[in-house]
Amino acid sequence: MRKILSLGLAAALLTTTLAGCGGGSGTAETTAAPAATTAAAETKAAAPAETKAPEASGGAVEITWWAFPTFAQDSADTPAGTYEAEIIAAFEAKNPDVKVKLETIDFTSGPEKITAAIEAGTVCDVLFDAPGRIISYAQNGKLVNLNDMFTDEYVKDVGNDALLNSCKSDDGSYYMYPISTAAFCMAVSKQALEDAGAMDCINMEGDRVWTTEKFEEMLGKLSAAGYNGATVYCSGQGGDQGIRAFVTNIYDSQVTNDEVTEYTLNDEGGIKALTKIKEWVDAGYMLNGSAYNGGEDVDQFVAGNTAFTTLWSPGLASQRADTLAENGIEAIALPFPSEDGVPEMEYLVNGFCIFDNGDAARAEVSKKFIDFICNDEEWGPKNVVRTSVFPVRQSMGDLYPGEAEMQFYASLTKYYSPYYNTIKGFAEMRTYWFPMLQAVLNGDSTPEDAVNDFVTKANQSIVNAQ
Amino acid sequence: MKQSKFNKIRMRETLVSYAFLAPALFFFCTFVLVPMIMGVVTSFFRYNMKGMTFIGFDNYVNMFKDQVWQKSLVNTVILVLGSVPITVMFALFVAALTYEKNPITRSFFRCVFFLPVVTGTVAVTVVWKWIYDPLNGILNWLLKSMNIIQKNIMWTGDKKFALWAILIILITTSVGQPIILYIASLGNVPKDYVEAAAVDGANDLQIFWKIKWPSLLPTTLYIVVITTINSFQCFSLIQLLTSGGPNYRTTTIMYYLYENAFKRFEYGYANAMGVVLALMIGLISFIQFKALGSDVEY
Repeated sequence: MRKILSLGLAAALLTTTLAGCGGGSGTAETTAAPAATTAAAETKAAAPAETKAPEASGGAVEITWWAFPTFAQDSADTPAGTYEAEIIAAFEAKNPDVKVKLETIDFTSGPEKITAAIEAGTVCDVLFDAPGRIISYAQNGKLVNLNDMFTDEYVKDVGNDALLNSCKSDDGSYYMYPISTAAFCMAVSKQALEDAGAMDCINMEGDRVWTTEKFEEMLGKLSAAGYNGATVYCSGQGGDQGIRAFVTNIYDSQVTNDEVTEYTLNDEGGIKALTKIKEWVDAGYMLNGSAYNGGEDVDQFVAGNTAFTTLWSPGLASQRADTLAENGIEAIALPFPSEDGVPEMEYLVNGFCIFDNGDAARAEVSKKFIDFICNDEEWGPKNVVRTSVFPVRQSMGDLYPGEAEMQFYASLTKYYSPYYNTIKGFAEMRTYWFPMLQAVLNGDSTPEDAVNDFVTKANQSIVNAQ
Repeated sequence: MKQSKFNKIRMRETLVSYAFLAPALFFFCTFVLVPMIMGVVTSFFRYNMKGMTFIGFDNYVNMFKDQVWQKSLVNTVILVLGSVPITVMFALFVAALTYEKNPITRSFFRCVFFLPVVTGTVAVTVVWKWIYDPLNGILNWLLKSMNIIQKNIMWTGDKKFALWAILIILITTSVGQPIILYIASLGNVPKDYVEAAAVDGANDLQIFWKIKWPSLLPTTLYIVVITTINSFQCFSLIQLLTSGGPNYRTTTIMYYLYENAFKRFEYGYANAMGVVLALMIGLISFIQFKALGSDVEY
């Protein structure tokens, strides 16, 4: 009897344990509800196995949307995902046969979660991100082709080949549907410049373009007045495009050739730029940023600890507006200085992709959802404004009437440089970029050796990714 | 007939035992054993997002030629060699000073040293990031106030200091548990032996080495093995604080493994690193068991 009881207990224990392991079907779905908190949303994303969107049930197709915090919320205190939930509610009201499940992810751990989910086969249907990662997923055959969304009317409306090409993979097909774009730039503190008598170094007219010579003059004046220059941040990986654009602009170098087939930063301008930056750091004009990542460089700027930052965008200006105001800092956005006074700007493209989960119905619904977010008469423009940048569709017109600063940001689009974030092996190249800068700033290598080594490895990354 | 009944009973008991083991075994197999086997198998493949191609030992050969991996190995070994002896000695020192204090004092010290353990790596790292901040960090401020340094030091970004800065954090997060264990272990040393040795004329040092230390050996073995494993697997501190920089000065094998798997999508190569790391940890733990595990009885 005791044995039978023991066996029964063991069986019960096993059953309950395994039952606890499952439970996915019993989980309340939070369709159209905000991801209650970022933490909660991240926890879900951390366990991708639980996040797989169920197949159509009761006639409704359910898709999952993973969103980085690109859409601005109503206020800094509003939980991540709140605005996204409003979009979903509006979409579901128009499409009652579709359920969209939202999960917010963050820029720190999000990319790793996506990678893990792709390998586990539990990735979302729709992802809101940028071409760097999206095209890399496309090159690995993980995405649904979006060619049918790029109608003649849409392509004509966008009217920007560079931008459209950033949404294509090397097979010539579109895999990212863009919604908004803006150039990355830099920002200086007006108070610091006025105090240092350096306002005459910058150009506040027109597109505010300026030269490296004037920039160096500004550095000298700021340093003499006791202000810290920006950090040459090179820790982590985020924001690397800002410092890369700074390096390439000051002596008119390019990260890649115009065809985006080969890295060329070890040209004369690239070596000269790195040598000059090392000189500035050694002279105390700029700070060795081996301990700072991009976000921390911006933190130092908005806190008033540094007089300028090389990582700025309309989105950052909007996100950091309150802190700047609290600290009494007026940020002046500027293009990067260049030797000839004509900058080449790197730029952000926000857009959507659809993962190929082997379900045509979900893919079609996902396209419908993306189309709603980007092109709905009411929600399209509203969503662009929530990204704090500019619509890719020219027909949306000026979404920031009367905002002089936004007009300036918009003017930078004419300086867009070849978009290299879609080059094969881009993800691997990024892992070599900051170590190269660290090697230069810490005197481990000469700028020439460091950049040559970087270019060799970066070009090898293209081969590795074939 | 009797033998047959006996065998039946034994069989039933065996089945019952396995039935009780089954849940744990299921989880162990699903989440530990199978991934481990898959890790070993895939380490012989060029395995990335595109798929898998068998390449034999190429990942291992490339790994041993990889200069960054070599740097990572050296950094990892430095962290292990630095953290394990200091953690053991410091924990023993604190435990020896506090285990005979009154319960309130003892609890206070337990709390103080255990706090970094229970706080969680992310929170601890954020605090240390603030301490080490080159512009506003309290460490620079303190050292400058005491005229020890004249200029701010970039603790986590300077090639001379970065690894040591990590080592200090690793030690502070590692000593908590050993202190608790040593306090408990010292409290269990039979007082009769200590008193008998004292009556026989042994001084404090002799009592410690001849009476207390032998009884602490099982605890020491555990602490040494666990601290070694934790130090070999040092990852979150690096990821959150330095991302392996400056110029790979703080890259550990675990961090490099992560970088290959999640930033370069080279899963097979990363798994090869995981296999080698596991073998290294296994070998060193085996040596530690042999060296410290033989002399645990009086």
